[in-house]
Amino acid sequence: MNPVLKTVNLVKIYSGGAVPVPAVRGVDLQVEPGEFVAIMGPSGSGKSTLVHMLGGLDARTSGEIWLDGQRVDTLSESAWALLRRKKVGFVFQFFNLVANMTVADNVELPALLAGVSPKDARERRESLLGALNLAERADAAPGQLSGGEQQRVALARALANQPSVLLADEPTGNLDSRNTRDVLRLLSDVHKEGQTIVMVTHDARVASLADRLVSLFDGEIVDDGRIARRRTGTAGAVIDLR
Amino acid sequence: MSTALAGGRWIRADLRARKGQAALTVLAVAGIVAALITAVTLLEDGTNPWRNLSAQTDGAHVWLYTKDSPQAALGAIDGVTDTAGPYRSAPVTVAQDGKKEPAALRAMPAARPKVAHPVVAEGRWLDSSQLDGVVVERSFATSLRLKIGAPFTIIALSGERHTLYVRGIADSAEQGFYPEWTPGLAWVLPTMLERIEPMLGRSEWVTGLRLSDPDSAQLVSQRVVVMLEDQLQRVYTWREVRAAMELDNRLLGTLLALFGVVGMVAAALALANAAGGRVLGQLRDLATLKSMGFTRGQIALLLLVEHGALGLLGVALGTLSGWVVTAAFLGGVSVAPVPMLAIVAGTSLVVLAAVGVPAWRGGRTPPIPGAPAAPPRGHLSRMARLALLVRLPPALILGTRDAFTRRVPAFLTVFGLAVPMMMITIGLGVWSTLDGFLRHPEQVGQHASLYVKPGKLEPAEAKAVTERDPDVRAVYPGTDVNALAPGEARSVRVRALGTTSEPYPFPVVEGRMYARPGEAVAGQGLLDLLGLKIGDRVRLTVGGSPLIVRIVGRTVEPDLDGEVLSVGLDSLAAKDSVPPEHYALALRPGADPGEVRARLLAESGESLEVQRVVNPADRLAVIRVVIVALIVVLSLIGLANLLTASALGLRDHALDLAVLKAMGLTPRQVMATLVTGTGLLVVLGVAAGTAAGISMVTGLIDLQGHTSGVGAGIGRAPSALTLTLAVLAAVGAALAVALIPARRAARAQVPVTAR
Repeated sequence: MNPVLKTVNLVKIYSGGAVPVPAVRGVDLQVEPGEFVAIMGPSGSGKSTLVHMLGGLDARTSGEIWLDGQRVDTLSESAWALLRRKKVGFVFQFFNLVANMTVADNVELPALLAGVSPKDARERRESLLGALNLAERADAAPGQLSGGEQQRVALARALANQPSVLLADEPTGNLDSRNTRDVLRLLSDVHKEGQTIVMVTHDARVASLADRLVSLFDGEIVDDGRIARRRTGTAGAVIDLR
Repeated sequence: MSTALAGGRWIRADLRARKGQAALTVLAVAGIVAALITAVTLLEDGTNPWRNLSAQTDGAHVWLYTKDSPQAALGAIDGVTDTAGPYRSAPVTVAQDGKKEPAALRAMPAARPKVAHPVVAEGRWLDSSQLDGVVVERSFATSLRLKIGAPFTIIALSGERHTLYVRGIADSAEQGFYPEWTPGLAWVLPTMLERIEPMLGRSEWVTGLRLSDPDSAQLVSQRVVVMLEDQLQRVYTWREVRAAMELDNRLLGTLLALFGVVGMVAAALALANAAGGRVLGQLRDLATLKSMGFTRGQIALLLLVEHGALGLLGVALGTLSGWVVTAAFLGGVSVAPVPMLAIVAGTSLVVLAAVGVPAWRGGRTPPIPGAPAAPPRGHLSRMARLALLVRLPPALILGTRDAFTRRVPAFLTVFGLAVPMMMITIGLGVWSTLDGFLRHPEQVGQHASLYVKPGKLEPAEAKAVTERDPDVRAVYPGTDVNALAPGEARSVRVRALGTTSEPYPFPVVEGRMYARPGEAVAGQGLLDLLGLKIGDRVRLTVGGSPLIVRIVGRTVEPDLDGEVLSVGLDSLAAKDSVPPEHYALALRPGADPGEVRARLLAESGESLEVQRVVNPADRLAVIRVVIVALIVVLSLIGLANLLTASALGLRDHALDLAVLKAMGLTPRQVMATLVTGTGLLVVLGVAAGTAAGISMVTGLIDLQGHTSGVGAGIGRAPSALTLTLAVLAAVGAALAVALIPARRAARAQVPVTAR
C-alpha cells in the first residue's frame, strides 16, 4: 500500500535571526492510510514545525514531502492552499475558529471552498455537528462556546471535506480533562472510520491513543514504534485515561 | 465560484461584526462624493442659465447703448450676422408695494424680432390692441412679486405717474438677473413709450449684435467703440451677462471642491486606516482561512472586495445624493454627465487604491495561525521617556509608550485626524469671515447702511432731511456712472462717493485713500480687468467726457465682481456729479437701519427713496449650511479613524491587560492606559490639524477673494474662543469614543492565553 504521507530527509532551518536555528533536522517519516500517528517531544523539539510543513503552512528548507503519491514540497503557497482544501484538515491548539462567523458557517466554509453546493455543505455540516452533539449550537458565535465545544467545532471543520490526512497540533493542549476526553473520543471515532491522523502532543496519555508513537528530540526522530494496545474497542479505554 | 461562495460568507460575517464602522465609512465617502458632484455641477457651465436663455432667445452677443439711434452700419461689421433694434429705452421708477425700483422701459414692436426676442414664460407678448400692456422680465417680476394682470405703476423722469398692466412675463438673455443687475427690464409698445417719455433726450437707444462666433465679441465691441465714438454710452458683451447670472455658484462650487478634494484624501486615508487596522486585527482569522485552503491572492481579493465594496457603496450613495441635491436646487438637467462620470471613476479608483495596500498585505499573512502578531517591542519611545522624566502616573507612561509602538498606524491616525480638523478649521474661518462681514460691514465697503435718492425732493432738501435725523452720523453725496474703458471696449462702474475733503471711508487694504481730485481707489476685479496696478494712471470716458485718474489704492469691493472704480465726487465732471444722484448714510453704531428708513420716509412724506444695503454675508448665507454639512462629514471621517485607532490599540493590548493587572494596575489605571494611548494621538492630530488650518485659512479666503475680484484682505481666522471650543469638542468626543471600549476591556476577565 502506498503511504498517505512520506517525508525524505526533511529539514527546516529558521534563518530569521542572527544565528540559523535548525528546527527539523532530516526527518524520514512514512504514514500509512488509516494510521493514527502521535508525534511527541519536549518543547522546541520541532514537532509543530514538522506538522506545519506536512500541511504546507511552513516551507521546508530541504528534503521531500509526498502526499497521496504526489510530491508536494515543491508546490507554491497557492498550490498548497488548493491542495489543502481537499486533502488536509487542520486542528490547532487554540481552535482557530473564525470569530465573526457562526459555528455553522465555520463548518460549512471548507466544504464551500472545495466546491460543494451550499445545500450539500449544509447537509454535511448538519450531520457533522449532529455527530458531535453540537447541532443546537449551530447559530452560536464561537466566543459563546466552551473550549471543548470550540475544539469539537474545529474538528468538524477539519473533517468537512474528508481529508486524506488530519493534522492536529496539540488539539487538547488548551483543554481541561473532561473536554480532553471528549475530543480524544472523537479523534478515536474518526480514526476507527479509517481517517488518517497525525497528532502532535506532549502529553503521553493523549499519545497513548495512537497506533504509533514518533518521538522527536532536537528536530530528529529518536524513537518510532507501534503501541501495543489492548483492543477494548470502546470508549472505555479513553475514559481510563483519566 | 466555490471561493466566491466561501468568501462571501466570510465578508458577510465580518461586516455584520462591525456594522457601525462600516456604516461610518460608507457615509463619509458618500458625503465627500456628494460634495464633489455638487461642486462640479456648480462650477460647470451647465448650471449657468445664460446658455439656455441665449439659445432660446437667439440672443445677441454684444449690447451697446447710444444717445441717439446709431447711424453707423453696425450690421456690416465682420462677424455680425444680425442686429436687434435699435430700441428706444427710457429710465423709469417702478412703484410697487411702497418700494421704488429702478427700471428700464424698452420699446419693442408687437411682432417679435428675429434676434434677441424675449421668450414669454407666462401670459402673452405685447399686443397693439392693448396699449397699456407691459411685459416684465422674469427675475424683475419675481422680485416685485408681479402676476399677470397686476397693475404696474411707473414714474417717469418728469415725475408723472402711469399705470400699465402686466400682460406677460418673459425671459431674456440680454442682461443679468434683478436685483444683481439693475435696472430691471420691462417692454412696452413704442407708442406707449413715447407717451410716457416724450423727451427723446431723456432716453437712449439699445442695439444688440448677434455674432457668428461669440468669441469675437471683444473684437466686435472694440470696432463699435471706434465707429460710434462719442455717441456710445456703454457697451457690454455676453460674457458679462453670463458672469452676472453665475451669482455665487462659483464661490460655493470652489468651497465645495476644496472641501471635497481634501476630504477625499482624508476619506481615502480613513478607508486605508480602517482596512489596515481591520487586517491587523484579523491576522489570525486570515491565517486560519489560509490553513483551510484560501490562497494568498484570494485573501487579498477577499479583503479588497470587502473594504472596497464599502467605499464603492459610499461612492454610489454619494453620487445619488449629489445628483438629488443638485437636481433639487438647480434643476435636473444641470448635472453634467462627463465630469460626474469622471468623479465616480476617480473616487472609485482612489477607494480601491486606498484599500489595495492593506488587502495586499493581508494576503501575505503567514498561514500559521499561531504566529504572534504582537507589535514590535523595544525601547521606550522618546515621548514615553519624556513622560517618565516628568514623573507622570504609571498609567500615562504606559499609554504614552503604547501610542507609538506601531509607528505607521500611529502616524496614519494622527494624519487622519489632522486633515479633517484642518478642513474644519478652514470651514470655521469661512464662517467667521461671514460673521466679520455682518459685524463690520464697513470693512467690506458698507460703511453706509442706507442709500437715499432725492425722489421728488430737491437734492439739497433731501440732504437736509437726512442730516436732521438723530441717528445719521454722516451723509455722503454720491453718483454711480458707467465709464468706457479704452481698449477693453466695455463699461465699468465708476462710483463717486464722498468728496476728497470729506471722503467716504472706503476699506483701503493696499496703498492709500484718495486725497485729491484725480485720484481713485479700485477693486481687485477692476485692476485685473484693465491690467492695472496701484500708481497707474487710467483714462476712462464718462458720457463722452474723459475721466483721467491715478489709482492710489485698492479697496475691498464686494460689488460687481470688484470691477468698480471709486473716486471722490469732485473728481467727476460737474455735468455728471451735480446734483448728486444719491446720498449714502452712515448711521450711529447700534442704530437700526429699518427704523431710520421708516423715519426718513415719514419725515419726507414718502418723497425720498430709501434703500437698505444688502450685506454680502446675507447673500452667502447658504454657505453656512454647506459648512455645517461638511463639518458633519469631516467629523464622520475623523470618527472612523478614531474607531480604527481605538480598536487597534485594544487589540495590541489584549495580552498585556492580564499582565498589567497581574502587576497591580487597577481597572481604572488599565483604562487610563488605553485611553492615553489613543488620546495622545488624538491630541496630536487635532493640534496639528488646527495649526495647519489656522495658518492656511486667511490665505485661502484671500486667494478666493482675489480671484473673485473682491480682493484680498477679507479672510478672518476663527476666533480663539471658537477654536478652543472646536478643539475641546474634538478631543472630548474622541476621548469619549475611546473610553467605552477601554472601559469594557479593563473590566473584562482577560484570559492570559487568548491570542
